[in-house]
Amino acid sequence: MSNPRVTGAIRYAQDVEFDGMLYASILRSPYPHARVLKVDASAVPKSVVVLTLDDIRELGSYGCQIKDQTVLAIERARFVGDPVAAVAAPTKREADEALDLIDVEYEPLPGVFDAVEAVAEGAPLVHEHHAISDNDAAYFGIRPQEGTNICHRFRIRHGNIDEGFEQADVVVEETYRTPSAQHVPMEPHASVARWVDDRLEVWTGTQTPFNLRMDLAGIFSIPESQIRVISPPMGGAFGAKTFVRTEAIAACLARKANRPVKIVLSRYEEWLTLNRHPATIQVKLGAQADGTLVAKRVVCWVDTGAYADCGPGVAQKMGYAAVGPYRIPHVWVDSHCIYTNLPPNGAYRGYGAMQAVWASERTMDLLAAKLGMDPLEIRLKNVLVDGDQFCTGEVMHDVHFIECLHDIAEKIGWAENKQGKGLCVLMKGMQTPSRASIVVEANEDGSYTVYCATAEMGQGAWLSIRKMAAELLGVEVEKVHYPEPDTDIIPYDTRTTSSRSTYMMGRALVEAVRDLKRKGEIGYGECVNTGGLDPDTGQGVASTHWHQGAAAAEVSVDEETGKFQVLKLHAAIYAGHVVNRPGAELQNEGSMIMGLGTTLFEQITFEEGQPTNANLSDYNIPAAGDLPESFTSELLEREGADVHGLGETALPPIPPAIGNALYSLGIHLTDLPLSAEAVLQAIDAREQAKGGRS
Amino acid sequence: MNIHFKLNGTPTEVEAEADEMLLEVLRRELKLRSVRATCGIGICGACTVLVNGELISSCIFLAPLAEGCEITTVEGLGGDHPVQHAFEEEHAFQCGYCTPGMILTTKNFLEENPAPSDEEIKVALGGNLCRCGCYVKIIRAVKRAAREEHVQ
Amino acid sequence: MSRTVPQWLAPNSLEEALTLRAQYGDEATVVAGGTFIGIVMNQKIMQPQTLLSLRNVSELAFIEAGQDEGSPLRIGAMTTHRAVERSSLIRQHWPVLASTFALVASPRVRNQATVGGVLADADYASDPPTLLQALNATVLARSEKGEREIPVEQLITGYYETSLRPDELLVEVRIPRNRERAVYRKFRSRSSEDRPCVAVAAARVDGKLRVVVGAVAEKPQYFPDICALADGETTGNAQMLAAEIGRRYAEAIDPLSDSRGSAEYRKRIIAVEVRRALEEMLS
Repeated sequence: MSNPRVTGAIRYAQDVEFDGMLYASILRSPYPHARVLKVDASAVPKSVVVLTLDDIRELGSYGCQIKDQTVLAIERARFVGDPVAAVAAPTKREADEALDLIDVEYEPLPGVFDAVEAVAEGAPLVHEHHAISDNDAAYFGIRPQEGTNICHRFRIRHGNIDEGFEQADVVVEETYRTPSAQHVPMEPHASVARWVDDRLEVWTGTQTPFNLRMDLAGIFSIPESQIRVISPPMGGAFGAKTFVRTEAIAACLARKANRPVKIVLSRYEEWLTLNRHPATIQVKLGAQADGTLVAKRVVCWVDTGAYADCGPGVAQKMGYAAVGPYRIPHVWVDSHCIYTNLPPNGAYRGYGAMQAVWASERTMDLLAAKLGMDPLEIRLKNVLVDGDQFCTGEVMHDVHFIECLHDIAEKIGWAENKQGKGLCVLMKGMQTPSRASIVVEANEDGSYTVYCATAEMGQGAWLSIRKMAAELLGVEVEKVHYPEPDTDIIPYDTRTTSSRSTYMMGRALVEAVRDLKRKGEIGYGECVNTGGLDPDTGQGVASTHWHQGAAAAEVSVDEETGKFQVLKLHAAIYAGHVVNRPGAELQNEGSMIMGLGTTLFEQITFEEGQPTNANLSDYNIPAAGDLPESFTSELLEREGADVHGLGETALPPIPPAIGNALYSLGIHLTDLPLSAEAVLQAIDAREQAKGGRS
Repeated sequence: MNIHFKLNGTPTEVEAEADEMLLEVLRRELKLRSVRATCGIGICGACTVLVNGELISSCIFLAPLAEGCEITTVEGLGGDHPVQHAFEEEHAFQCGYCTPGMILTTKNFLEENPAPSDEEIKVALGGNLCRCGCYVKIIRAVKRAAREEHVQ
Repeated sequence: MSRTVPQWLAPNSLEEALTLRAQYGDEATVVAGGTFIGIVMNQKIMQPQTLLSLRNVSELAFIEAGQDEGSPLRIGAMTTHRAVERSSLIRQHWPVLASTFALVASPRVRNQATVGGVLADADYASDPPTLLQALNATVLARSEKGEREIPVEQLITGYYETSLRPDELLVEVRIPRNRERAVYRKFRSRSSEDRPCVAVAAARVDGKLRVVVGAVAEKPQYFPDICALADGETTGNAQMLAAEIGRRYAEAIDPLSDSRGSAEYRKRIIAVEVRRALEEMLS
């Protein structure tokens, strides 16, 4: 008996089949911004079902935080790849061929492709109006700025920033840029939709079954109880499989065809579906001569692409993550979520933390250099400990940054020498507020079944929850069953994002088992965390529970080519209590490797809004041979501690650890990725500054 | 056109068009779900099969080229192969999408190099991408399988 | 919905294959290993109506070298990369050929892709053509009308373009026997699995230095006049000579820009990698 992943027996959404099922293809705008004047599908054979404007015009708009999306582009296409029509046919091949028979007339409009340019005077508007969504993913005050491309503005006002900088003996200032990147889940997006009488049923690889159900209800103007979402295990997601992606189009085609419809995206289409937010981050940091931080000013321009998706949430998280895990009395942050005519950007492992930590932690080393201080010492001196107040006003508890720093410093041999080595420490929030609930049922044969919405994308959540349940129930894990999440039978959960499930669902499980023991046959439990930030001041509770970690890197540079080797990479992540050790290690290692890709080679290149490297040859992701010689991670645990989510924490510290290691060699880089070419240019700059010949 | 080959030991005949790839034929006609589409350009390894004992990217292998060949997919290993055991024991997978390709590549590699170094493993598996980043445990699984096969 | 189903032609001999080739010309797409065709078809760049498969033309799969000292290595066009990589004959007498073919892509690609195919595809980033040109290799093109021998540098004429005529098939590659050291360097600017940013092959053939730079322009770049600087040179100024040849190659080449590096970056790497190739060769 073998694990279905190892036998190949596992079934993903793309493997769901129904009799009479049709296959869909999507016709996409080749222009980044254009009026859609006419869609003529008259040449498409009758055997193919076509979805055009007339079919979807009356449907509701959707969007998890800003309601800015329609099932197909109405009147205007806003990015290269924006769906303008769709077809369903008996075979995928026929569907693809039918697309060629649809004639679309466009009137190109000027577009904008950079967040900073998009807020400049006279920039073309991607959306004229911004309507805040009523989806429960819009859980915080959203501040769209009418008449601009800014769909959300998050601020932190803590202390008095001018006073703060007056108190500073030393100030450093720098601007950083991170590009867009693709999640590249090995399994592309896939959904199957069918209508059974008036009910919509969707099998889809999704991390967010309830948010999806809510948006679909709004689109079709039917009650949520008329929609059923089933989430099979996914072949990776990393944030890409969230909210509405292919489901609405599949559902519309299924309704028109009166047959089940399957959509499986091609690899190329993945670059036109959801990417990572590019960001430009300006940091100004002031300290006293002894290294005590006194003031920090951060401005973020966050490019959310043509549709906001969860960009406002990302901009907010990026805003406070950019402050870093430090005691700073005066902090001002402005983080803007900005529309451009690029494909939509959304949740990507780290949710804004990577971009923020890059900017923040590189700046710490710039400051350390100006002060002539050891980068480890300046961090140890300022990092938050229990009882400290963060810039949001919340008091920190259960924080272990000092331990994380000591661990990485030791593992990298910081005391022996610092040449070619770099450090990073980070904090990342967890979705706050949120709610998780779970049902546990006792079966006649002595086994148990748990019902909850936590989705499996490879992170091992189902196994962790089964293990926790088994331990609480006093049985072997084989006696705990976990069916695919099905919104018809599972209780509510916010979503499987933000590394929250083991922690939140774990606590709900404790309650559910307690309830079961009282009642005998079935038990229900829930866990709620409350909090949130005032969007105008950034004060409140950003996170009831902090993800914490640190990383260190050692590099060796070939100064003639700029190519460098990461000799050693180590991350220390505070885990509290580890439920499934191999799973935890895999999540850490996986996050680190993804972080390595972000650092070394991942960026989506665009030309007038058209992705130009949208394939796995031109867009590199890490392969086995890219592993550093020494590649380790540590899970810090404490007796009696809470479970801490691990799904993302080890990604954000990788770029700054490596960037700081290069910086120790005088190679100063502000933009990701750290390509060999960029390194070579930085070496030229260093040599010129020295007055030496290159 | 009709194409004849042996699939996991069983003589098989399928109907396919001349411009279809073996991957489509295996999935659609023969319902073999372990062979998966991802990159479409033969780079990622999720579509790996063995053709006459050699590793091939089925997504760029025109179906007619399979005529008369012996094709092996992970289903043909029976679920009890030492390489499969090693992957399970070392927890060398997360989402599982790349796993069949990793397993077939490992099986083939160890037949040729029964006692590989870490470096040799990284080169042999370099063409099998794992976005979940399980490489550390995959390398351990390969070494474990090598040891076990040695013992056998 | 109807569509024209493509035609699959599978000749069983070279003679049959040449007849079909003459009959269809460029109306039929030749399939050797099929990797390149598979990729362009999946990307919908090409949708051939007729496919001419050489799979059954077994007489084109061979690796041979005559007994006497001067006789060349002859590799049939349908020989796979893997066969070259593993051939004990090639590893013994042309080791850099075996090791360079082993660098191509992945084991899967090497099991399928052929020596003839990689030359006929003329992909600017492929490894074998660059090395073969440095080794002064030639290819044999055959048609119903006859046969001609074409040096590799005259075969590849541009991006994915060769001088092969519509009635010709590439049937064989010939590599002169060479006692001297040859080197192939593949500089990847990104992942260990990436295509090269700059590739350099260097060999001495009949006493003359041949340096070929690949992956930087539409076809492999070779400048005999620059290489001539090395004529008559033995040791002594080896380091400076290597650097000078590198510098001049960088100046002479107009590289392309792509995901792997800009033209300016490639120019700098060309200088460094040519120098390093020569240093390796002369060491």
